[in-house]
Amino acid sequence: MFRELIESWWHDMKEVFTDIGVLIFVIAVPLAYPLIYAYVYNTEIARDVTAAVVDDSQSNMSREFIRKIDAAPEMAVYAKCTNMAEAQDLMMKREVYGIVHIPKSFEDDLRKGKQTRVGVYCDVSSMIYYKNLLLPCTNASLEMNKLIRVEKFKNLITDREREVAMQPVKYQHVQLFNPQGGYDSFLLPPVLMLIIQQTMLLGMGMAMGKTREKNRGYALDLNMHLTHPVSVLLGRMMIYVPLYILLALYMYTVVTQMFTFPQLGHYWDFVGFIIPYVIDCCVFGLVLASLLYRREDSILMFVFMSVPLLFMSGVSWPGSNLPDFWYYVGRLFPSSYGINGYVRLTSMGASLKDLHSEMTGIVIQTAVYFVIAMLITRLQIIRVEKGRKLGIDNARLKYDKKLLEE
Amino acid sequence: MLSYVKRQGKRIWMLTVRELRIFIRRPLLVFCMLIAPIFCAIFFSTMMSEGLPQKLPTGLVDEDNTSTTRQIVRILGSMKTTDLSRRYPTFEAAKEAVLHGEIYAFMYIPKGTTQAAISSKQPQISFYTNDAYFLPASLLMKDLRTTSEMTGLAITRETLRAKGLTDKQIMGVLQPIVIESHPISNSTLNYSVLLTNCIVPGIVILMIMLTTTYAIGMEWKKGTQKFVYHDMAGGSVPIFITGKLLPQTVLYVLQFWMMYVYLYKVLCFPCQSGLFPMMCIGVLTVLAAQAFGLVMFGIFAGQMRMSMSASALVGVLSISMAGFSYPTTAMSPLLIKLSWIFPLRDYFLIYSNQALNGYPIEYAWQPILALLIMMVVPLLFIKRYAYAINHIDYVP
Repeated sequence: MFRELIESWWHDMKEVFTDIGVLIFVIAVPLAYPLIYAYVYNTEIARDVTAAVVDDSQSNMSREFIRKIDAAPEMAVYAKCTNMAEAQDLMMKREVYGIVHIPKSFEDDLRKGKQTRVGVYCDVSSMIYYKNLLLPCTNASLEMNKLIRVEKFKNLITDREREVAMQPVKYQHVQLFNPQGGYDSFLLPPVLMLIIQQTMLLGMGMAMGKTREKNRGYALDLNMHLTHPVSVLLGRMMIYVPLYILLALYMYTVVTQMFTFPQLGHYWDFVGFIIPYVIDCCVFGLVLASLLYRREDSILMFVFMSVPLLFMSGVSWPGSNLPDFWYYVGRLFPSSYGINGYVRLTSMGASLKDLHSEMTGIVIQTAVYFVIAMLITRLQIIRVEKGRKLGIDNARLKYDKKLLEE
Repeated sequence: MLSYVKRQGKRIWMLTVRELRIFIRRPLLVFCMLIAPIFCAIFFSTMMSEGLPQKLPTGLVDEDNTSTTRQIVRILGSMKTTDLSRRYPTFEAAKEAVLHGEIYAFMYIPKGTTQAAISSKQPQISFYTNDAYFLPASLLMKDLRTTSEMTGLAITRETLRAKGLTDKQIMGVLQPIVIESHPISNSTLNYSVLLTNCIVPGIVILMIMLTTTYAIGMEWKKGTQKFVYHDMAGGSVPIFITGKLLPQTVLYVLQFWMMYVYLYKVLCFPCQSGLFPMMCIGVLTVLAAQAFGLVMFGIFAGQMRMSMSASALVGVLSISMAGFSYPTTAMSPLLIKLSWIFPLRDYFLIYSNQALNGYPIEYAWQPILALLIMMVVPLLFIKRYAYAINHIDYVP
């Protein structure tokens, strides 16, 4: 059995490392894709989202309000328009993403002690526009409200109490993790874990397609006498697992440091987490790859899955709000555990102990998928044996006939 | 002339029939062209069926536990986004809960807050959000902030009431400037409207590019490209390509239309422009995406795997480049310029002009032009295709 393991490993090794198509997916893409994504989101935070201001009040106070929102880093006053129609035109041209409308009675109302309403109209084709326009306006209003309150309180209470009455309870907001609220620090860690799983699937699927094409539809090399499913599987795992551990280390060290992504977790916790995850992905890949019959099929089959998988992991859309059905579907994929575990590890500084639920999931998955992969390989071995009894030439003939039918 | 058209028409028909036969024998193609996009449409629309995430688990550490602090709990409890059912005895316990993913945020009220507020010592309360989870953190931040603001004001309101002010006067003092937000066309901030509308077309566009390069590349793989070109297409590259891609075009256009009916008629997402303009945009998008695939195949003449890999790269990247999650305008200047060549980016711009906002279509002339240009670019590759057919073999 051990001899068979080495034989099968060496054979597959040669197949993988002489196949440029597979190598692109298992080496070039994992090396390059994190860099491309980091470049796309390199700006981290959207600054200076443009807005038009329609100031019907034209008063000192309205101008103060405009100055305040313009000073905020999130937005920039792009134009001051005389009426809404003009501002709307800018919006249709996508030169501005929002309109701030200050009513004619703005200053009057404030002087009379009445409430006044500032309208903020936002393009919501991206939520970030909405967020970036609303936040500075709210901040400016809170700040001005505080000062106005001080004025009002002048007549009501003594100077000493004024400061406190203005704001009896102070509050502060602390961003526990990802303190800059950067979009890349939020999205990149999940994407890295997804890249590990998806490129491994693509590479393994392509390698499997190649084996089948070379061996007339059989999943194992017809010229080799393989009898133990475990040795075949271990042989394949011995190619991908070490390779991907290296790639994961590259992502954790080079990529993370180059773009200063969060890296709170302990190095050895990361190693302890990533090895089971890579093994899990590999075993999962062995199962899925067995479904493929042609080299290029893996691209058709696996690429589109990346986007739904990102959402199923519960990072883009809050996991607490995933419908049960999709939550459990997500649990079938290693990435759901990998993404959550990695985010907790690097962005939130969790230790391996804190990742108990993810680790359990990964271990169970690995065991289940390994058994399934073993059964599949067992079947494949039986099929090859049968084919061989027919004689390799006959077996080939059968497949050729199928090919010709196409 | 008529007989010429007839002859070419017949050729295209023959190729189409042959193509349909291939579909039947390759279930994977049907999976990609039908099942995958339908799956994604159902997945994204059901996953985000609640629109804006509601009842996000939030913690509370109330060391003070007085009637005033319980009022905070009531205010927060009345908010849709927050689910404040989890209590923690200490700050550390709450932080631990964040670490374990039980809650996305928590509010911390230290001991003696009420006492300090009443005796005018201006105490401080804090709220903590976990921004490693972007969406829940930013939604909860808004709620927690409003609550904190209101907590302080509740105490001021009592003081003012004691001075004999009316409620209307009080509001004029407490909150003189009110910000009224009007998210245009999506007043409930429904995330499904935002994302399903763009991600599903994005996946269909990805599939179009992949199946275009796959279907054409298959001829090289089987070594039948010369036969199809000389014997079936009469030595004409446009006929060769039209015949091969026509069934896909029809299928994908129908899919876009079905998707619009599902989104705008069944789910009632905003469609200010009406269905017809969107259906035309669907046709334009399918053709542009196919053209993109053709250009990819032209660039890597006859190399199926490379052209598919490149299409996959562009297709997946375009979901980021389109700008519905992170705005394209915030990316680097080079990427802003490059974004025009991503069909999904152009589609997104036209969609938000038409269906979402219902603006006059002339304001979207740039993305429409971009898609139209994309459609004619493959014409530059006709010679290269002819060369590839006659001289280049399949590379595994």
